[in-house]
Amino acid sequence: METKIDTKIPWMCDKCHQALVAQKVKVRYLEGNFEVELLKCPTCNMVFISEDLALGKILEVEKSLEDK
Amino acid sequence: MDLDKLLEIGNQCIHSEPPVCVASCPVHMDVIAFVSEIDKGNFAGAYKIMEAKIPFSRLIGKICDHPCETHCVRKDVGGSIRISELEKTVIDLGYATPKKPFLLPKNKGNVAIIGGGLSGSVAAVELDKKGYKVTIYEKSNRLGGSLWEYEGKGLETSVIEEELLGIEKKGMSIFYNTEVTEETLQSYIEKYDAVYLGAGSWSKAYTIHPDTFQADALSLFIGGKIQATKRSVIGSVSSGKRVAVSIDRYINKTSMTASREREGIFETKLVYKTDTIKPLDTMVKISTFYSEVEAKEEANRCLKCQCDACIKACVHMQRFNITPDSYIRSINHNERIVLGNRSANTMINSCTECGLCKEVCPIGIGMADIIHATRESMVERGKMPLSAHDFALKDMQFSQSDAFSLVRPQPSKEQSKNLFYYPVIAFSGYARGLYKGSGKTGYLFYPGCQLSATHTDIIGEIYKHVVGVIKAKEADNDVGLYLGCCGAPADWAGRLDLMPASVQKIHTVWEEMGEPTFILACSSCASTFEKYLPMIKTISLWEVLDKYGLPTTDIKKGRRVLSIHDACASRHNTAVHESVRSIVKTLGYSIEELEYSKEKAKCCGYGGLVSNANPEQAEEFVEDRIHESEQDILVYCAMCKDAIVKGYKQAYHILDLIYGTQEIPQKMPTLSERQNNRKRLKRQLLKEIWNEEEEHAVDTTYDFTLHMSDEIVSLMEKRFILLSDIEKVVDHSLTCKERFFNPETSNFLARLRVQNVTYWVKYEEKGSDITVKDVYSHRMEVVEG
Repeated sequence: METKIDTKIPWMCDKCHQALVAQKVKVRYLEGNFEVELLKCPTCNMVFISEDLALGKILEVEKSLEDK
Repeated sequence: MDLDKLLEIGNQCIHSEPPVCVASCPVHMDVIAFVSEIDKGNFAGAYKIMEAKIPFSRLIGKICDHPCETHCVRKDVGGSIRISELEKTVIDLGYATPKKPFLLPKNKGNVAIIGGGLSGSVAAVELDKKGYKVTIYEKSNRLGGSLWEYEGKGLETSVIEEELLGIEKKGMSIFYNTEVTEETLQSYIEKYDAVYLGAGSWSKAYTIHPDTFQADALSLFIGGKIQATKRSVIGSVSSGKRVAVSIDRYINKTSMTASREREGIFETKLVYKTDTIKPLDTMVKISTFYSEVEAKEEANRCLKCQCDACIKACVHMQRFNITPDSYIRSINHNERIVLGNRSANTMINSCTECGLCKEVCPIGIGMADIIHATRESMVERGKMPLSAHDFALKDMQFSQSDAFSLVRPQPSKEQSKNLFYYPVIAFSGYARGLYKGSGKTGYLFYPGCQLSATHTDIIGEIYKHVVGVIKAKEADNDVGLYLGCCGAPADWAGRLDLMPASVQKIHTVWEEMGEPTFILACSSCASTFEKYLPMIKTISLWEVLDKYGLPTTDIKKGRRVLSIHDACASRHNTAVHESVRSIVKTLGYSIEELEYSKEKAKCCGYGGLVSNANPEQAEEFVEDRIHESEQDILVYCAMCKDAIVKGYKQAYHILDLIYGTQEIPQKMPTLSERQNNRKRLKRQLLKEIWNEEEEHAVDTTYDFTLHMSDEIVSLMEKRFILLSDIEKVVDHSLTCKERFFNPETSNFLARLRVQNVTYWVKYEEKGSDITVKDVYSHRMEVVEG
């Protein structure tokens, strides 16, 4: 799953008051396991997923895994 | 799933069967394509179509004996299309001098053609085209044989000469004035790889294979006048072409007979009914030939016969541009594929399983059962896309849980004694019904999960009314109540694994209650009961109301006209059709029947869970249905109303009319409201009718108040996100502070995984007021940490 992450976003972790950083994150669905670069809080590791990503690339990958 | 059996069914589909004109043409000219080109005014294009199947089409087109016209389907509705006349005009207007042919090396074998008549000349050019070195032996001093009989009688000398000269130009060897006799034939057989005998007369009789034209001697093929039983120009052309195929196969040592069943004239399986076709008379030509305009008009009369009854009736087949034959091939492929994408999944989940295709199919192929079996097979093999039906199945689980599920016998006399006093007992049929309580449940009112969610506030009224009217006539039979979900969503989703528990639960209730008759208010419940619980006797609420009496309502004569949208699940239930119509008329409305009604009812798009699996397809079903009538629509299924109202068409549920208020709501509850309504209904009925408080009723309460705009609510509907999901996300984010913050907008963004879905909520927080700004979800799991 290749994604282009927009790193210039204003969102920050509310708990840790940290700016988000792009890092490899494990994602999985059905039989699929991937490592993909996503934005996350460097301290608590909470991963940020934007609406565009959820309804765009992620949905597309979900659908193709469902049809495998 | 027996895929081979399935493919056999697909082969029975007549969509791809040729029209009778093509089947009765010995060379199978594509008549539909031919007239379509004329219709467009493209006479050159039409000529090309003739040329593709008819050798010497410039000559044959003028003298063809046109067996096609005898069988034309237009015959009894204005007269057969004059295909032969059209051909003549097409030759005059569309013929172009052929380009100089590219000469191929002739190295596939040597063939002798004995007799350069029509069939011989055709066989010669066909074999030449296939790469054989052809030698023609002709008794007379010219080729063409019987063609010359038409000289001056349809064919001009110069044109015959020009066309026959074409054979010589191809470089074939032609020996004129060379007669081959029975005595000399053997030497030709020995000399050549194959011999075609197409002489005009021959005294020796041979056994000739009727399909391959092969004679006793294996390399000898006989056609033309010797073989033909009756004279036909196009028949001779056909035999010449077929002989060329046989000789090619013989020399190449391939099967002489395989896949040749449909050569020459054959019977098509296509059935094309003309009962609704308006007669249109044959175009009369003013001069010898049709003019361009006349030809176009005549071509325009062609019905372009093709069976598309199911496609015309079904927007699903239209969307995927598919017919049962190709649909079945796609299913076969989807089922057999080992590696790669199952590209037909979405299509298979976009059928409403309504069964209309079977109703309109002249040979009775129904896709509903096939698609249903496919879904079951997909589930069984773990290949059913999870997202397709997940929401509907969770909703079903909710309705089957204690949140909604409820079974109660009719309140006993003892429980109801506070009603048995004047004037209540005098004016309430319900009170009198309770007074007659027998303790034996003869009927069980089962409103179903969707009606309970959309008509929550009248379910109790209906129950009381039914108790009153039934007890008035059948004192022995009490009427109980059963709230629950029949399991239709699981059935539609192909989840055979979920059916036994669902069915067993209903069966147990039925047994424990003394095998009562179920009164059903939902057509989908009725079909689920029929399929999985055939031992349970059922009756529709509409029959009960029609037979035992309607509640006292405002009945006015001369009310407006309504069109009835029958529920597709009830297409074969004439008792339902009749009782609904009877009730509507009793209430004072008149009915304008839709073209697709009763057994031909069209689905609203909810069936088969299409609105879950493919919302766009579901919208197309609604769109198609609502344009069928100018009138407002009357329905008797809660989901039909939901679908039609969503298509911005006025729709009334029959209960809206029976329990009519002035303004019948045209806004349906949201997915979240539906669940809440079901919960509320259970609580209300328990309290009002059985005087019980719900046990273990725990409603989660939160310390915040959610605010949502209409846009957010419609986004939630579109994305199948419940209010309870949003509450969980927000609550979790407030409790654990797991959320993102945007300093530019002061918005928060939080996420929570609930079962197999991660929900995201963007919100603004002002004290305990939470204003939702956005909601979305994904199924992909993110491993944090």
